[in-house]
Amino acid sequence: MATVVQVERLHKRYGERTVLDSVSFGVEDGEIFGVLGPNGAGKTTAVECLSGLRRPDGGTVRVLGLDPRTERDRLRRVLGVQLQESRLADRMRVGEALDLYASFYSEPADWRELMELVGLADRRDTPYAKLSGGQKQRLSIALALIGRPRVAILDEITTGLDPQARRDAWELIEAVRAGGVTIVLVTHFMEEAERLCDRVALFDAGRVAAVDTPAGLVGRSAARQRVVFRPSAPFEDRLLTELPEVAELVRTGARVEVAGSGELLHAVTAALARHQVVAGDLRVHHPTLDDAFVALTGRRLGTEQESPR
Amino acid sequence: MTMLLKLTAVESRLMLRDVAWLFTLGVPLFVMLGFGLPFALSPGGPPPEAVSGIESLVVTAVTIALGLVGLYMVPTALAAYREKAILRRLSTTPARPAALLAVQLLLQLVLAVVSLVLLVGTAALLLGTGLPERPAALLGVHLLGAAGTFAIGLLIAAVAPTAQAANGIGVLLYFPLAFLSGLMLPREQMPAALAAVGEFTPLGAFRSAAEAAWTGADQQVLPLVIMAGYAVAVGAAAVRFFRWE
Repeated sequence: MATVVQVERLHKRYGERTVLDSVSFGVEDGEIFGVLGPNGAGKTTAVECLSGLRRPDGGTVRVLGLDPRTERDRLRRVLGVQLQESRLADRMRVGEALDLYASFYSEPADWRELMELVGLADRRDTPYAKLSGGQKQRLSIALALIGRPRVAILDEITTGLDPQARRDAWELIEAVRAGGVTIVLVTHFMEEAERLCDRVALFDAGRVAAVDTPAGLVGRSAARQRVVFRPSAPFEDRLLTELPEVAELVRTGARVEVAGSGELLHAVTAALARHQVVAGDLRVHHPTLDDAFVALTGRRLGTEQESPR
Repeated sequence: MTMLLKLTAVESRLMLRDVAWLFTLGVPLFVMLGFGLPFALSPGGPPPEAVSGIESLVVTAVTIALGLVGLYMVPTALAAYREKAILRRLSTTPARPAALLAVQLLLQLVLAVVSLVLLVGTAALLLGTGLPERPAALLGVHLLGAAGTFAIGLLIAAVAPTAQAANGIGVLLYFPLAFLSGLMLPREQMPAALAAVGEFTPLGAFRSAAEAAWTGADQQVLPLVIMAGYAVAVGAAAVRFFRWE
């Protein structure tokens, strides 16, 4: 597979503050690549350097072989960008906006088809101000795709959306990728990255902590699964801590939490059953990207939907 | 080319969907008719000594309209486009944000010229003023005045952080400029020093030059130079300070 975006040792400072510190990653043709990290980690600045909106202080950036600073004119024709903060005029109608933006390109997509794809066909004559948050985002995504870009950068597309609108947006992204567009998805929402991304660059305080598949990041972090239950009868810690799968046992009141790896659940319940102990309220927590982030950076990623707006 | 045509068509529709243009055309018309009709409707037509006063009133109305477009419409529209990051979005497409800016300035100029024609035509029909002595000169002066006031509007848009701030600055600037150029109080009744300062404001210079074009009096060079000076100096500052995002 060809590399369509190449970022090497990218540096960016705002005054005294270093926002990007030697950031490197590559995006392969046809993948959904996640730029994941908490707010203020430098994600948006990084993709702004990709789209030519910001000048890097150091390092090299190539998008489809083009330098975003010196070959910006050519880049504009092959790169679609959905900016986090960008809105439209309140009275601009959906169909009007798509038709107008299509006229910027020499070989645009059919805007009516695109309007259908993003689920706005019945909103063609609705003014922008009357659209819901999810509809505005889907229109914004459509505008980023109207020029048939080979690569699309989508920045925080689901921030502030309700769960249903978020799932609609996710399905849309998958449909777009199925159409052959490489997607760079900026998000601080780990569930989104886990669900959509083939690979993820984990951003932390202006650095890339790791680049891997979501599963690879979880595995690499050695984050452990946990089994939580209330035993029906008392038992000695030794009963479980002697199992090879178990790394740690913590009691909180009547609650027992066991951390470990491998077939942890099976090992624990089998050992308890042999001693006539039933595990009530049993829950299993698998490590997530969130856990991986904590393990890799020592910080919490957070799933809070903090809207920068 | 299709892009520019389409952009102009869409921006025109957007402008017409907002009632601000109606307000911009209506306010000066209302002022002109409100003060002018009582004279025009007096039995036997306007007394001869009132005619020059009515002509001066029409020029006042044209000046108000120019001020509203330049100091209110232009900065608010442009600052809103920046605030909504529309200029920024355009800069990621093959269309340039400068294209949108140019189309907006063109449409605002069209609005100002429509207002001029409306006011002059209405005055000739309803107020009995007849047509200006030098219509081409009046149009030329108007375009120069538009350049001067639009430059100020552009500078407001350049420095205002939000559309609301741009609107506020425009209104704050409009009233003193309108007062100094004698739109609120006849210049003859103003303190001499203020009236003299007024001659150096863009609206005051426009008013003097437009009055000369209307009455056929000798055209003084100074007001033209003042308007051109604003257009060039303030325009350059606006370009220098304009932020696309």
